[in-house]
Amino acid sequence: MLKFILKRLGASIGILFAASLLLYVLVINSGDPLWDLRESIADNRDYLMQQRSDYMNLDMPWYQRYWTWLVGVGGCFALKCDLGTNIQGIEVSGILASAATSTLRLVVLATVLAAVIGIAIGVLTAIRQYSGLDYGVTFLTFLFFSLPVFWAAVMLKEYMAIGYNDWMKEPSFSTTQIIIVALLFGFLMQVFLAGTMRRRIITFAVSAAFVGVVIPYLLWLNFFRYPQLGPAAIVVLSLAVALSATAMSVGVRNKQVLYPALITVGLGLGIYYATFSLMSEPNTWILIIGGILAVLIPGAIGHFMGGRHRRIAASVSAVTGLVFAGLTVVDHIFRAWPGFLSLKPRPIGTIGSETPNFGGDFWEIFLDRGAQLLLPTILLAVISLASYSRYTRASMLEVGQQDYIRTARSKGLSERTVIFRHAFRNALIPIATIAAFDFAGLIGGAVITESVFGWKGMGDMFITGLKGIDPAPVMAFFLITGTAAVLFNMLADIFYALLDPRIRV
Amino acid sequence: MSGVKDNEELRGPHNMKSDIEPGEQQLVSLVEVEDAELARKQGESRSQGQLVRRRFFNHKAAMISTVVLVFITLMAFTSIGFAGIPGWWGKSYMMSGTVINGGAPTMSLLPSWLGGSGLAIGEHPFGQDNTGKDYFALVMRGTQKSIIIAVTVGAVATVIGAIVGALAGYFRGWVDEVLMRMTDLFIVIPLLVLAAVLGQMAGSKLGGSIFALALVLGLLTWTGLARLVRGEILSLREREYVAAAQAMGSKTSRVIFKHLLPNTIGVIVVNATFAIAGAILLETSLSFLGFGVVAPESSLGLLISQYQNAFTNRPWLFWWPGMIIVAIALSVNFLGDGLRDAFDPRQTKKTRRRKKTEEGQA
Amino acid sequence: MSIASEQATKGGTALSFENLSVSFETEFADVHAVKGLSLEVYPGEVVALVGESGSGKSVTSTAAIGLLPPNAYITGKALVGGVNVVGMPESKLRKMRATDIAMVFQEPMTALNPVLTIERQLTESLELHGLAYGKDATARAIELLEMVGIPEPRKRIKQYPHQFSGGQRQRIVIAMAISCDPKVIIADEPTTALDVTVQAEILDLLRELKDKLNTGILLITHNMGVVADLADRVAVMFRGSLVETGTVDQVLNHPEHPYTQKLLASVPRLAVMDVTDTWVPEPADVVDPDRKLVLEARNLVLEYDMRGSKFRAVDDVSFELGRGEILGIVGESGSGKSTVAKAVLGLLPVASGVLAVQGTNLAALRPKAARAIRAKIGVIFQDPAASLNPRFPIGDCITEPMVVHKVGNRASRTKRAQELLDAVHLPRTVMNRYPHELSGGQRQRICIARALTLDPELLIADEPTSALDVSVQAAVLEMIQELQESYEFACLFVSHDLAVVDLLAHNVVVMKDGKSVEQGRVTDVLHSPQHDYTRRLLAAAPVPEPGEQAERREARRLLMAMENPDS
Repeated sequence: MLKFILKRLGASIGILFAASLLLYVLVINSGDPLWDLRESIADNRDYLMQQRSDYMNLDMPWYQRYWTWLVGVGGCFALKCDLGTNIQGIEVSGILASAATSTLRLVVLATVLAAVIGIAIGVLTAIRQYSGLDYGVTFLTFLFFSLPVFWAAVMLKEYMAIGYNDWMKEPSFSTTQIIIVALLFGFLMQVFLAGTMRRRIITFAVSAAFVGVVIPYLLWLNFFRYPQLGPAAIVVLSLAVALSATAMSVGVRNKQVLYPALITVGLGLGIYYATFSLMSEPNTWILIIGGILAVLIPGAIGHFMGGRHRRIAASVSAVTGLVFAGLTVVDHIFRAWPGFLSLKPRPIGTIGSETPNFGGDFWEIFLDRGAQLLLPTILLAVISLASYSRYTRASMLEVGQQDYIRTARSKGLSERTVIFRHAFRNALIPIATIAAFDFAGLIGGAVITESVFGWKGMGDMFITGLKGIDPAPVMAFFLITGTAAVLFNMLADIFYALLDPRIRV
Repeated sequence: MSGVKDNEELRGPHNMKSDIEPGEQQLVSLVEVEDAELARKQGESRSQGQLVRRRFFNHKAAMISTVVLVFITLMAFTSIGFAGIPGWWGKSYMMSGTVINGGAPTMSLLPSWLGGSGLAIGEHPFGQDNTGKDYFALVMRGTQKSIIIAVTVGAVATVIGAIVGALAGYFRGWVDEVLMRMTDLFIVIPLLVLAAVLGQMAGSKLGGSIFALALVLGLLTWTGLARLVRGEILSLREREYVAAAQAMGSKTSRVIFKHLLPNTIGVIVVNATFAIAGAILLETSLSFLGFGVVAPESSLGLLISQYQNAFTNRPWLFWWPGMIIVAIALSVNFLGDGLRDAFDPRQTKKTRRRKKTEEGQA
Repeated sequence: MSIASEQATKGGTALSFENLSVSFETEFADVHAVKGLSLEVYPGEVVALVGESGSGKSVTSTAAIGLLPPNAYITGKALVGGVNVVGMPESKLRKMRATDIAMVFQEPMTALNPVLTIERQLTESLELHGLAYGKDATARAIELLEMVGIPEPRKRIKQYPHQFSGGQRQRIVIAMAISCDPKVIIADEPTTALDVTVQAEILDLLRELKDKLNTGILLITHNMGVVADLADRVAVMFRGSLVETGTVDQVLNHPEHPYTQKLLASVPRLAVMDVTDTWVPEPADVVDPDRKLVLEARNLVLEYDMRGSKFRAVDDVSFELGRGEILGIVGESGSGKSTVAKAVLGLLPVASGVLAVQGTNLAALRPKAARAIRAKIGVIFQDPAASLNPRFPIGDCITEPMVVHKVGNRASRTKRAQELLDAVHLPRTVMNRYPHELSGGQRQRICIARALTLDPELLIADEPTSALDVSVQAAVLEMIQELQESYEFACLFVSHDLAVVDLLAHNVVVMKDGKSVEQGRVTDVLHSPQHDYTRRLLAAAPVPEPGEQAERREARRLLMAMENPDS
């Protein structure tokens, strides 16, 4: 397996090198970097031209310029990056750091979201082939495939962001709006949960009624400006998760699985109070370590109490623990929301990756970044989600026709076990290769999205660089995105090898 | 021999032999039955192509898409004319005029009893831009150009992709190597990025004609199809009819162009449509960023880019070209999907019977 | 003899069908796959359900376990241990699978999930049905693997399916089927994808298990030898209906229905072989002075390129084939028998040695001359579904060699196609039809016609009948023989089926692992084999007569015992 991955990595680095050469040559040949000065009538024209030539090494032949760039990049291994200077003589490595973090945050978040949600939707539509849900999702995925990113971005910006911000000033729903939302929610719920006509009607009625009651209640609480969850709601929701996870895996009567999950909830409540002040002003590391512990500790409890169901017990408890931790974070975010609103009355950002000069505590900065990131991420994730769900659906349907699925069914396994234990892993194998292409596509999409949302990110660097026939920023963009793509590709390869024992051995 | 008797009893009144239809009483061998069926077979024999066509015409979404696509294309080319032939729409995309009613669209599709102003087209159905140019004429011109670019890109990419894919699949070796490395290249350089660089090059070095752009984009986007055709050829060349053709002494060109490529027509046609849909989006994106079509030429993406800042005051300048891009791309995608179902009926409907049994149980 | 009646008095059936009918709705029309079938299987009994393709035998068995696709419409009853499973809710039916009814499938290579360990796949049904958990389940799984004869089960249980051979995988599938002690096992063509020697082992295993576990087995097969070897009772299906049932002796030795009679007559039989006898060579024929060699191989070596390294598929093989003769090449999969055919067809270069057609060495030929020599060679392949270009009408398929070698004009080509269609007994109107409209046997006849278009000197037949049904195979073999007599071509006949070679060929080469282990006249090699491998091969091939098969089984046991005295 290691050999397989090293071989792939070696090939990728070779490609990276060849691609850098190709891109460099193409960029410097795509126009004349001095065109604006040539037409200039300024007195110091010749001086300006000479200055620009110096910044960009225009007097060197192309291979020498490329070599200079390559040597500078090679310096990165000695922690002394020299990525050259741009058309204005500014060191590219200086601008790069901030641009790279915001862009990579966007791309990675969108990729993860798209892959997880897209694969889930793909599996669901494959199971329910030719249902209303399948047709609906198929139509939507085709629509997303056909959506020009920039156009959709402007739409989102104009309607969603500005609309929401206006509404946020004084949140309200008219009666008609509540009825429409309730009916729509009920309809969607019955589409998702499916079942017989009777069951669908019940689902519809219950969920529509639920929404119809909850929205006025939340408005009465002024929830949208002063949201609250509180320990009680966290415990209730976590208990619901614990019970339903147990019911779905072995049934609630199985105490070996149920008890550790319940203990997890109890333990969670204790920890909620113990860490309350810490969580009011945490940092990123605390959150990460807390998240890991929230999975490991319940997992261990489940493992030791689970008896012969220890594997299931451990995972049910871990899920419960994770949900509890997540809800705790949501609780703290809710607590920070009113303060955030007073700092930033129009919460959803449409320009830039963070509000300039924004000062606040950890959660307020978190909310600011999140609000700025929200729309671009939604957009990129939705568009790339379409391809994941399509491929997963096709792959699941293909796998569903294999002989070993028939074997699994003939053992009397439930449809859920057949799908998740036998079909799903096999169906993921081809998806791993598609993910690498999709990542590249997302970077392309990010260039457009950043341009629409006015981010000073990598996309902006690329666009201004290319327009000015300025290779340094374009190559810096390539260096980051290309390396990210290679790393992502390697992850996909490792994942691939983990999934498929035939290449592991 | 009591076993026989026993079985007869257990079997009860069902005498299996009587189940065979009277006309077939004498036919007791599979060979004879099959030959009799073949001899009985009447009527037109259907080639693969005819079967595909039949399935395609039964595909509702694909047929609707075809109609939409034909409608948009006809509108784009006949309304303002093409290649010197004048069209039926009186206004030119170059003529400025007075801005009426803020340039709002005059087209109304909502009947008056629903609160609209009745079915009317009006003077400027798509509205006017800030200099009073008729926006319908402008959008139709952009649509024309975008369609031309997309079809050219699709054609170039399909031809190159099919040939390279076939050669790579048949000979493997260095052609295959090159193809695979090209594919890897697009993992590290996003297509859009490379297309932007080449688009700018086409703009500055090749004089900015839309054909130059289309050609460049076509030269970039063929790898996807090539990979698919290669995969298909790799499996087809293991088929015995290919081995038979080779054993017969057929020349390589005959094997590739008579036996292999025609059998990948499904993959090729389906992916040509997807290539066209992709090309529309790629071209508009590039034009939006400023690396694609540049003025004085036009395209839907360029229109959106030009009127980007007008959104708050005149949203229709933004809506129309976007809607047409979505309409074209969506119908081309559905068309491709219909073609795929027609070529590969493995995963198509099995719903009728299921419904019947459900009714039976209920 | 009357096993069925004995058990009928003892208790209920393990599996029975009462007036079962199944129809499918397909793209263009409804297909009635099973028409009112009634049959019963008692515990401890093997009932063979035999029939050719389209007879509905697999559909019947799949209906019993409730795994038919949703477009199937089922009426009648299928009783598993007395409980009707037709129309039973899925959740209830699931509980019966593995514990009451289990299944062994045809393709061992694809029947196991490639990404899960054998342990996981074996223990999951034990845990699901509450028979054993955790370590107990693993222990039970190891026990099962031992029972089906997987060596070192403790170590190998952690492995993945791709680390096992085809025969071993089928053993694992069988272990899975017996894991929950089902009342009945449906074995759907359990040995069809396997080599004869492996087939014999799997049949032994099934026999042993049925005696040990007292399970009923419904054996679906098209192979009459397998029926004779394993079955107690036989049910014969033809086009969705049961035409005859009875004990194995009644049906195989005294068939009543004309279909069964004809079917049995179509099965090629091996002559009796006495493996214990010492070989007495018959006097050699006097070599015919007029014998013209059409194909000759001397020290032939053929290699495949496997990612840079060479894999030697054929190693130092020599043979001769004269005009008007048929030379059979037999062997199991991987023996290199088809590779020889490929090399003669020019699909694989000769690595070393001589391969000469009518005296011209193929290896030394320039491309143009090589192409000319192709006109003298006709070919028939194994898979009738893949051997005709789906986009060519039948007429074009047949005349393609004439087009390639620029022989004749349009009219003469059409005339030739018509002649050939007559020769293979197909109506001339077929000319304008497409391959997908023909059955497998008919397509194979088209392939024969195509092979003969240019009056070849040499016909290469690479397993031409192994994908065909027995009666269709008989018709095709008869046709090859008939045409060979009238056209007098030489024929290289590659096959895994010894009986077919025995029937058709004059000389035979027995191959194993790329080497020729024995060759000579069919009468010598197949009737009094000298080499151990040939003997084993012959002993493993089942014959469609229960009494004789029992003797052969005994003989095979003796032979194995002689070879491995320690075990």
